[in-house]
Amino acid sequence: MTGDPEVVLALALGVLFAAGTFLVLRRDLVRVVFGVLVLSQATNVYLITMGGIGGVAPILGHGGETTDPLVQALVLTAVVIGFATTALLLVLVYRTYQEHGSIDLDDIQGAVR
Amino acid sequence: MTTSLVIAPVLVALVTAITCIFVRFDPRVQRACSIIGVVGYSAAVFALLARIWPANTLAYQLGDWPAPYGITLVADPLSGFLLALTAVVAPLTLIYSVRHLNPPGQRVSYHTLFHFLLVGATGAFLTGDIFNLFVWFEVTLMASYGLVAFYSDRDGTLAATRYVVLNLVGSSLMLLAVGGLYGVTGTLNMADMARWLAAASPAEATPVLGLSLLLLAVFALKAGLVPFQWWVPSAYAAAPAPAAAMLAGVAKKVGVYAIIRVGFVVFAAADPTFTLGGLAGDLLAAYGPVLFALAGASILVGGLVALDRPTFEETLAYSSIGQVGFIVLPLAVAAAVPALRTVGVAAALVYTLNHALAKPLLFLVGGIVEDATGTTELDVLGGLAGRSPTLAGVFLVGGLSLVGIPPLAGFFGKLLVFRTAALGDATAALGVAVLGAVLTIAYVSRMWNRAFWGERTDAVASMTDPDPVRLAIVVVLAGCIVAVGVGFGPVYGFAEAAGHVATGPGRDAYVRAVLGGGVA
Repeated sequence: MTGDPEVVLALALGVLFAAGTFLVLRRDLVRVVFGVLVLSQATNVYLITMGGIGGVAPILGHGGETTDPLVQALVLTAVVIGFATTALLLVLVYRTYQEHGSIDLDDIQGAVR
Repeated sequence: MTTSLVIAPVLVALVTAITCIFVRFDPRVQRACSIIGVVGYSAAVFALLARIWPANTLAYQLGDWPAPYGITLVADPLSGFLLALTAVVAPLTLIYSVRHLNPPGQRVSYHTLFHFLLVGATGAFLTGDIFNLFVWFEVTLMASYGLVAFYSDRDGTLAATRYVVLNLVGSSLMLLAVGGLYGVTGTLNMADMARWLAAASPAEATPVLGLSLLLLAVFALKAGLVPFQWWVPSAYAAAPAPAAAMLAGVAKKVGVYAIIRVGFVVFAAADPTFTLGGLAGDLLAAYGPVLFALAGASILVGGLVALDRPTFEETLAYSSIGQVGFIVLPLAVAAAVPALRTVGVAAALVYTLNHALAKPLLFLVGGIVEDATGTTELDVLGGLAGRSPTLAGVFLVGGLSLVGIPPLAGFFGKLLVFRTAALGDATAALGVAVLGAVLTIAYVSRMWNRAFWGERTDAVASMTDPDPVRLAIVVVLAGCIVAVGVGFGPVYGFAEAAGHVATGPGRDAYVRAVLGGGVA
């Protein structure tokens, strides 16, 4: 297998994780949600690369080197779980906004403490 | 079909959780379903325990797909120990909840969330597949998000948001580690991974070390160890008292269990000549210093901060950080000294049992106090002992068990932790444990002096009588603590059988049960 697509994916993963981490550390709660989203998507991309890329579809009789289908099943599960938790998180952020009148964590913490 | 009993507890809790959604039109029917369900859950767990006792391992292949290709559920003494304490705490907490929470709240979501929490924890205790463990973690977490946000007030929303964000980052990290482990070992089945590691050369196994420490960080987050403890106090203070009892008593233990199962059963299987930098010994030896740092910091931070918290539940939340430190301390010693694996895991399990009984008891006492007096501020309370001697007596049993006074369960917990540290010649661990024990005495007696002794304050003088049903529940929990302490022989025997899985022969039996005939 050639290295090229994997190098591109590795670089993309680095950028995604960096962006996700940066966003999670923001004060704005909505950006934190985006950060969590980016992080979980980056994880999914990483999982896909674990199964190898560039092989053919793993169907009996297609021949040639196949891609591992198991990681794709894992990613499907992870995507579904991520979808549900993100929806819940968005609702919680909205409720936090309703209760505190702000989504800036410094404002909220200052009011609570 | 001899092993199909293994899946029974998960199924009972799952069916109950879903039934509770459909019968919510009638609160009485819903409550009845919920209580029957939790009793059925306990019955299923104890039926399973009868099959595991004294040291059997049962493996159930889901859908009859042979391991390692399908998902395996495994019941061995280690799983059985944690299931047993869940099966004792859950019914008591649920009956308490029925009396404690307002009817609309129960009707909408509480019973379903409670049973889904049970589903998740039970699944995590039983699964033999590392990705499946991730899924059960998520089930547990989804339910606990709902329980933390239950009141959905100013503090509750913020606490829940913080809890969800931290755990979502944790989930991403866990998925990274699981994916990496699959990439390196080519399997997700824990028994198969242990077999792969046992056959792998040190060079092949090296990437597993980094990935396994990533997993350890996630498990430490779930267990609320320092430096991942930030979610604990606000989440426990925001959740209703019985939900906090379940989170501290059961959900936190999922993290502890995962450290033992994945660390001591799977990763410890690696070649014993493994070396990396200055670290010699097997893969698990690298865990020793890390676990010790986490445990020591938790004991000290939890104990010190608990000393000046203003309310009942905040003191208990910080105490729970310190107590989980006590659970992990013998694991740290056992990781560094391979000869102590069985003793260390058994000590951690006995301490887990003590904490899983005492902490819910104290949270529930806090709930009764809040209901009767309208507050849990330690400054506003005083003289409760004269007003309700039963409540005071129960608090004393729970508090003294945390401290470690014989003949309560906590005495043996502390004794075994100290014994493991002494056997391992771990002076630093002994020192931290002694310091932690002193801090525990200090914050328990502070709560006792402030809330139960002294002059009766206005809040206590004008309080209503505690609800007899809830009082009876905490009395039963106190009875359990005494019973474990008095009849400690069989409890320790079972804990030791559970610890045996961390040794070579025990691990072989586990691997044989999963990959071979299903029974060992």
